[in-house]
Amino acid sequence: MMLCRKHVACAWLAAVACLRAAPPPAAKAACGTCHRAEAQAQPKTAMGIGIELPPDQEPLEQHPHLTMEANGYSYKVERKNGISTYTVSDSMGTLSLPIRYAFGVHNLTFVLEYEGNFYESLVTYYEKTAALGITLGDDRIRPHNLTEAMGRKTSDQEITSCFNCHGTGGVTQGKLTLGSLKPGLNCEHCHTGADAHMQAAASGKPAPVPRKLGEMAAEEMSNYCGECHRTWESVVGLRLFGEKNVRFQPYRLANSQCFLGDDKRISCTACHNPHADLVRDESSYDRACLACHSTKTGAAAAGAMQKPCPVADKDCVSCHMPKVQVPGGPTMFTDHEIRVVHAGDPYPQ
Amino acid sequence: MAVLLCAITAIGGSAATFEELAAQAAAARRGNHLPDAIELYRQAVQARPSWVEGWWFLGTLSYAAYRYADGEAAFDEFVKLDDKRALAWSLLGLCEFETGNYERALDHLRRGLALGKDLPPEVETGVRFHYGLLLTRAGLFDRAKRELDRYALGGAHEPMLISGLGLNALHQPMLPKDVPAERQDAVMQAGTAARFWILSENDHAESVLQELVKQYPALAGVHYFYGTYLSYTRPEEAMAEFRRELEIDSADADAGAMLALLLVHANDIAGAAPFARKAATERPADALAEYVYGEVLLGTGDLRPAIARLEAAERLDPEALEYHMGLATAYSRAGRREDARRERRISMNMATAVGDARAAENQ
Repeated sequence: MMLCRKHVACAWLAAVACLRAAPPPAAKAACGTCHRAEAQAQPKTAMGIGIELPPDQEPLEQHPHLTMEANGYSYKVERKNGISTYTVSDSMGTLSLPIRYAFGVHNLTFVLEYEGNFYESLVTYYEKTAALGITLGDDRIRPHNLTEAMGRKTSDQEITSCFNCHGTGGVTQGKLTLGSLKPGLNCEHCHTGADAHMQAAASGKPAPVPRKLGEMAAEEMSNYCGECHRTWESVVGLRLFGEKNVRFQPYRLANSQCFLGDDKRISCTACHNPHADLVRDESSYDRACLACHSTKTGAAAAGAMQKPCPVADKDCVSCHMPKVQVPGGPTMFTDHEIRVVHAGDPYPQ
Repeated sequence: MAVLLCAITAIGGSAATFEELAAQAAAARRGNHLPDAIELYRQAVQARPSWVEGWWFLGTLSYAAYRYADGEAAFDEFVKLDDKRALAWSLLGLCEFETGNYERALDHLRRGLALGKDLPPEVETGVRFHYGLLLTRAGLFDRAKRELDRYALGGAHEPMLISGLGLNALHQPMLPKDVPAERQDAVMQAGTAARFWILSENDHAESVLQELVKQYPALAGVHYFYGTYLSYTRPEEAMAEFRRELEIDSADADAGAMLALLLVHANDIAGAAPFARKAATERPADALAEYVYGEVLLGTGDLRPAIARLEAAERLDPEALEYHMGLATAYSRAGRREDARRERRISMNMATAVGDARAAENQ
């Protein structure tokens, strides 16, 4: 049935996230016996943190009293004695809920439980402004009551997808198992078979080696990382066109003129180390560009066959990957659709 | 009227010229004297078989008078003289639908729609509806669903649509009028659920579907339909439904293909492979089966055969967005950059067009 399959494709992110077996958390220390650098660095990264649980929620600790007015409702996010509370009120009443799950690291969107359902908070804490703002994607919502003003009710598959991509052990066989939720992604989450490998190694048995993900070429890796960051297919299937899709890097990257699906030089990990935090120094990405493009002077890395940039040999991303603001929010994202940008050009869909 | 007919007969008897017949036919048509106009046009085109306009009016007037066999004959002559008219092919197809020439009707409605940028919207809607019914009858359920969905989204809810939707949902290749009495209720229930689903009234859809499964647990297609519905939100339960469908009919290639697709999405390529292979073997010209097997082969890294399967799926159903998307991915992985870019562009254009159409429907 086509409609179904279309929607299956559209809900691909959710389906994959739910169905990918979410095994018990692996012992990072054990993985770290051999993979020390990765095991030490990764838990401190944004992917390693994923969700701020009540004892943490550092940004809220630093900003214990946040308020905002929107759509005729007053919002308050308060932190007292290590407990964060989300309150929305209007002239008719007040709804106050504990913040058990603060998704993100720099910007925090809250997942709230109310009357047996999960809601994505309608307001988010944004690091850039150190203030609350409307949650990305929710700017068109016009709430009719306190519950709607509090947040957007999530479907089962959406919420399982949220917890599966931001945490470990929170989803098992497609069902929420929040009792075993650990914030962030552990080794096994990406490296399927890591637990078995580690246990076999620990017991002195021949250890099956998980697939080396760095061997993936660009297309395959985009689909792999896209399970959480959204694949090209999921964005097209959901028709998420316009500036809002700048957040979905695998989609943007695949639309680049220079994207070569069978080439590792344009894969996610050609630029980003998933075991380390995002590098914000733009010049650090030049080496990836120069792996394919020669310099103006003609110097080229082995295999760099593409034409040189006539303007510069450095800070490539500052021109070719412009920053784009998602409508309705203060956050800028790097557009991964690598291209020659002309002033006044519309945003490529 | 009688006077006019007498006059016609008299004219016929005295071998009226073609010009006279044509003028009288036009006058009868303008005066809304349908039977007279039909008779006069019939005589006129006999006198001059190359008179395109005459065949046209004979066809349209016959259709309006529910004289479908006459309409079919007239439009058949018309399209021999002018094969560029979407409306003529469409009306020919609609006449053939009514006279029971289903294979020809399917082909001619398809031709009409292919040419049909100038079809009046209300005609196009009706044509697509009948085309959807005929595609269902031909077992081309996915393509049929797209057509029937459009009709349902326009607000239609007549029994023939509900029955058509039900047959499509249950993958029963027949027309509403051919549904056996003992299956009528199940088909209508399935159609009701399908309509709710199309209209995004999912609570209602699920409630009707659960009742359908409860009442007709052994009826072919019921678990398949429920499985497709659940695929959206509860893929694990959907897989269980497809397995139940396969228990009822182990040769059900559609259920096997859908089960395989969900397993692919769950990254269980090894689990998906036997179902996908079986579906592709048993339904060699089925777009879904080809697509799913292509996805399985993509998962195992067998790019060349994967591309062949995905290309076959695209050929069989070029309007399916996911086949283009699947091909884009496969081409990209194979390093066929230009092919990948082309398929990406097609996919994005299709997705945008569907989005625009939905927005227009919502306004």
